[in-house]
Amino acid sequence: MISVRNVHKWFGELHVLKGVSLDVKKGEALVIIGPSGSGKSTLLRCMNLLVSPDEGDILIDGVRVNDPKIRPEWVRQQVGMVFQSFNLFTHLTALQNVVIGLTKVKRLSSTEAERIARFELERVGLADKADAYPAQLSGGQQQRVAIGRALALNPKAVLFDEPTSALDPEYIREVLDVMTKLANEGMTMVVVTHEMGFAQNVGDRVLFMADGIVVEEGTPEEIFERPQQDRTKTFVGTILG
Amino acid sequence: MGTGGTKDTTPLVRSSSGGSEKAPTLQERITASKGLILRIAFGGIATVVAVFLLYLAGYVGLYDLDYALSLLPPRGRALTTGLLATLGFMTVVMPLGFGLGFFFGWARTSKVWLGRAVATTYVELFRGMPPIVLIAFAVLITIVVFRGNDRIDLFAFASLAGVVALAAHSGAYQAEIIRAGILSVPTGQTEAAEAIGMSKATILRHVTLPQMFRVSLPALGNEFASLIKDTSLLSTIGGLELTFQGKNLSAVLAVGGGNLDLVIIIWVEIALLYFLITFVVSRTLQAVERRFRVPGLEAAQL
Ligand SMILES: Nc1ncnc2c1ncn2[C@@H]1O[C@H](COP(=O)(O)OP(=O)(O)OP(=O)(O)O)[C@@H](O)[C@H]1O
Ligand SMILES: [Mg+2]
Repeated sequence: MISVRNVHKWFGELHVLKGVSLDVKKGEALVIIGPSGSGKSTLLRCMNLLVSPDEGDILIDGVRVNDPKIRPEWVRQQVGMVFQSFNLFTHLTALQNVVIGLTKVKRLSSTEAERIARFELERVGLADKADAYPAQLSGGQQQRVAIGRALALNPKAVLFDEPTSALDPEYIREVLDVMTKLANEGMTMVVVTHEMGFAQNVGDRVLFMADGIVVEEGTPEEIFERPQQDRTKTFVGTILG
Repeated sequence: MGTGGTKDTTPLVRSSSGGSEKAPTLQERITASKGLILRIAFGGIATVVAVFLLYLAGYVGLYDLDYALSLLPPRGRALTTGLLATLGFMTVVMPLGFGLGFFFGWARTSKVWLGRAVATTYVELFRGMPPIVLIAFAVLITIVVFRGNDRIDLFAFASLAGVVALAAHSGAYQAEIIRAGILSVPTGQTEAAEAIGMSKATILRHVTLPQMFRVSLPALGNEFASLIKDTSLLSTIGGLELTFQGKNLSAVLAVGGGNLDLVIIIWVEIALLYFLITFVVSRTLQAVERRFRVPGLEAAQL
């Protein structure tokens, strides 16, 4: 469904992605792990063209999307994204955060948009917080609203960039639960995370990145219990403690 | 209340202080802010048009403003003339200054090199000189350019140039205020907006603008207040505004043997008039500020 083909990205002199290729299949949850600075976020941002690859291609359902003829706005409606720091619009309520993409991007009527938005908030368990502003919500609640905001546009896939890293421990569970439910419903997901429990139980495949390349790829058991590469062994050793 | 959203363990505690009235829907909010902006714009335009019509009617001889004013006692006449002139200057200088400030402030944050360069030059140039010097230059340049051209009213042109110079000076300050407001909107939010497929224009209108004003409005209020008083600088080029009238009246009284009490009264009246104008403007801005307030996000947390 999403294919990344030999993608390179430079930030000035810094060669951040050095020829990354991967395939995300429809309905799977792909987990990406790797040390800080290895290029995980940059890779995700390439997939929805928040960052444009300097070399290589991004394909969505076989269509090359890093093409000047294709509007990046269109691509981003197909591939949703959830950020580490939630990034809710602070001047809008939870409901309005979900509504705005529907009215201003999909151009739905406000009644239709509100109906969908209420449904999405219900889905992330926040129907009762529809009228609260982000500053009135806990981190976990904010992140769930952010997930609802991404889902509302009915994307083909959702990218999660360390969605629980900025959360206090007591709020991590509720966000992972929502993500697990999504995965079980068959949503295609790419998740950068260091939550090993989630990676092992929910991830269909795990991909280990270091220094801008994909070092190793396999099922959660293969990566966590029988890593082949030395770098993977060291990294898995540190995160499993 | 915690310092950051992530550490906030008591959601909604704070908000309940304001009662639990239902938050307006997005559409209502947009309509309401549109309504307010329209009302203010309408008020501004109506004032400009009214002042303009007043002058125009006098100009084509429908009535004689001077005659109407001459029916007032001398002091009242002078102060009314001054007040009209000050209001007239304001109706041009404030919207023009804001427009320039908004445009160049936005250009200062542009990703385009040329846009930034032009805007930065504007800001540095017009902020770097005292407004009175700018006014003098504007007038002198106008005179040099249009001298000898009988078809135009040189005095009116020169005055207009002075007014524009003052607006440009204020615009340079406002540009920085606007820029600070735009930069205060976290990049994470513009990125999130991009990630749901919003276009640049939609992001500016629906994400950046509503949030930047929360930061910019108090500073803009300050700038407007000082701008109102700066219109008195236009007396140097013959603008018959309030301060000029004050000086004129005092001078006349001094020559006529001096009635110090009366001079004091005149200046108290002028001070009150300035105060009144500034008060109305600042209250209006406070109303706008309330409109952009966000529950749970108090000023201290910005
Ligand atoms: N916009 C940018 N401009 C310049 N350098 C950047 C930019 N974005 C990322 N980088 C650099 O690229 C490298 C990879 O960054 P990236 O955020 O993709 O890593 P990451 O694997 O997500 O790390 P982390 O686990 O810390 O989030 C880092 O050295 C980072 O400093
Ligand atoms: Mg990252």
